[in-house]
Amino acid sequence: MRRAQTSVQKMLAHASGLQSVQVGEIVYPTPQWVILHDGYVEIAHKELSEMGYARVAHPERVMFVTDHEVAYSTQRALLRGQTIRKVAKDWQVGAFFDAGRAGHGHLHPMEMGLIKPGMFLFAYDMHATNFGAVGALAIPVSSEITSVLATGSVWVKVPSTIRVNLKGQWREGSHPRDLGFLLAQGLSKSTWGVAGDYRLIEFAGEALNTMPLSSKVALCNSITEIGVASVLFPPHDAPYDCLSDQEAEFEAVLDFDLSSIEPQLALPGGPDLASPVTKALGTPVQHAFIGACGSGMYEDFVDAAALLKGHQIHSGVRMFVVPGTVETQKRLANDGVLQLFMDAGAMVLPPGCGPCAGGMMAPLGSGETSISTAATNHSGRFGPKDSLAYLGSPLTVVASAIRGEITDPRSLEMAHV
Amino acid sequence: MFEEALIRRGHCHVLGDNIPLDEGIMPFSFAINRITDPVQLIPHLFCGVDPTLAEKIKEGDFILAGKNFASGKAHMQGFIAMASLGLSVLCETMPYKAHRGAIAKGVAILTGCVNLSSFAQDGDDIEVNFLDGIIQNHTQSTRMQAPALSPILSKLVRVGGLQSALKLHIELHPEMKLPRLESQA
Repeated sequence: MRRAQTSVQKMLAHASGLQSVQVGEIVYPTPQWVILHDGYVEIAHKELSEMGYARVAHPERVMFVTDHEVAYSTQRALLRGQTIRKVAKDWQVGAFFDAGRAGHGHLHPMEMGLIKPGMFLFAYDMHATNFGAVGALAIPVSSEITSVLATGSVWVKVPSTIRVNLKGQWREGSHPRDLGFLLAQGLSKSTWGVAGDYRLIEFAGEALNTMPLSSKVALCNSITEIGVASVLFPPHDAPYDCLSDQEAEFEAVLDFDLSSIEPQLALPGGPDLASPVTKALGTPVQHAFIGACGSGMYEDFVDAAALLKGHQIHSGVRMFVVPGTVETQKRLANDGVLQLFMDAGAMVLPPGCGPCAGGMMAPLGSGETSISTAATNHSGRFGPKDSLAYLGSPLTVVASAIRGEITDPRSLEMAHV
Repeated sequence: MFEEALIRRGHCHVLGDNIPLDEGIMPFSFAINRITDPVQLIPHLFCGVDPTLAEKIKEGDFILAGKNFASGKAHMQGFIAMASLGLSVLCETMPYKAHRGAIAKGVAILTGCVNLSSFAQDGDDIEVNFLDGIIQNHTQSTRMQAPALSPILSKLVRVGGLQSALKLHIELHPEMKLPRLESQA
């Protein structure tokens, strides 16, 4: 009898040309996409060129995205952009999204329909786990992406799966990022008797039926930094059966009721340092932004705008809005949402990572405090080491930007935008 | 280098649980300064655990550790030094990224080895077959079974890590040295 398999087992087996795989098994899966962002193309090209490689194994599968340094702020970045264009041409890559042409590479490939349920792909950047939101399996391999470029694959260990069942509805003021921070903390500290290290986190449950893609992205994104293998939402409508079997073996099953989730912060130091927002109320902030790969979708800005309507950004706060993609930016402009942000005193930055990519754009100053929806907030992420970066949901960030201090979004009344 | 054996014999150094990569295996300053020259790194190996250990370690020795070996940010400097000395690692667990990084540098590792601190003492003469997971302690005349290193990872370690594997790959696929013609698109 065929042994029951989880989604990740089925997807890795399919990509490796095998009937089934076991947890812990090492395989060489064939990716449908190999994605690199503008921060690594030049390095990968140099490394492979020095070894004598003049081409890559399957250029039609290679996608270059431009999101880390979009509107070049240095001559070095400008030259890097020129190199990337040349490499894209020389290697004849299958998809190249240059500066200003698409936006964040962890978002626009989903919006464009390039990433589909059941797909397997390799990526340089860890936050490619976002693609789990549409039921695609992305395994981030960091610098080992050069091996994928040169040979077509790299080894993958089949991870065990932690299933996270979600039920109920968010209460006003709460958001998927809040649950994301709590999950990151619990999996990082093994609160539920299981660690997140190289586990596949699979979401399931009735709450998924009404969940927009932006919420799924927020959940995928918030738990990535603790070192999970990847994150998956059920890949319905895939061209082959890759849903977890009912009898599949999960390492752990966790249950959450969304209505029990309170607004959270991730304290400076990492997305897993979750704390109820109420613990830091009143902390002054000078810098805020909404955007980056975990909170750069249309709904993230619309939800924040609903709180912002009728208010102004506090005079002591530099507030930035970074739509994830060009399409999202156009939609927000057409619907008057960007107008609302600008009228309140916020600045709109070009689609991409925004300040989260090392503070190359709109950085945080020495001794300043930021609150944002960034993917991470390790020391020095958007500026000097003596700056402090809190993370919050788009609701918590905009509430704090209005008051000029960390604020519980439930203390502001939501309007309808 | 390409034919490095995976049946190895040497003396062991027994460490405990939770040895961090930064400040345990190698001072963080080498990672932040991106120093990758093994000659500079080797004298500082494990100085956070025991400042005299680097002097005692000989080429081909074994590091025996417990749980969560090489924890923290996956900086590779410690593994560069270990690979250069031909050290091997036996441990109970290590974080995935550290494991992956060590294999990429060509360090032979067996994880899933339990109770190593009672199996061997500092200086014991041990022999490890990475291909079948059998560990023999010749000093104490004991043996134990650990999960073997998978054939795929064995091959990577045998050739000396990822960089060496890519150099070997291009020799076996010389067409990769030539640009792709437009007509091949």
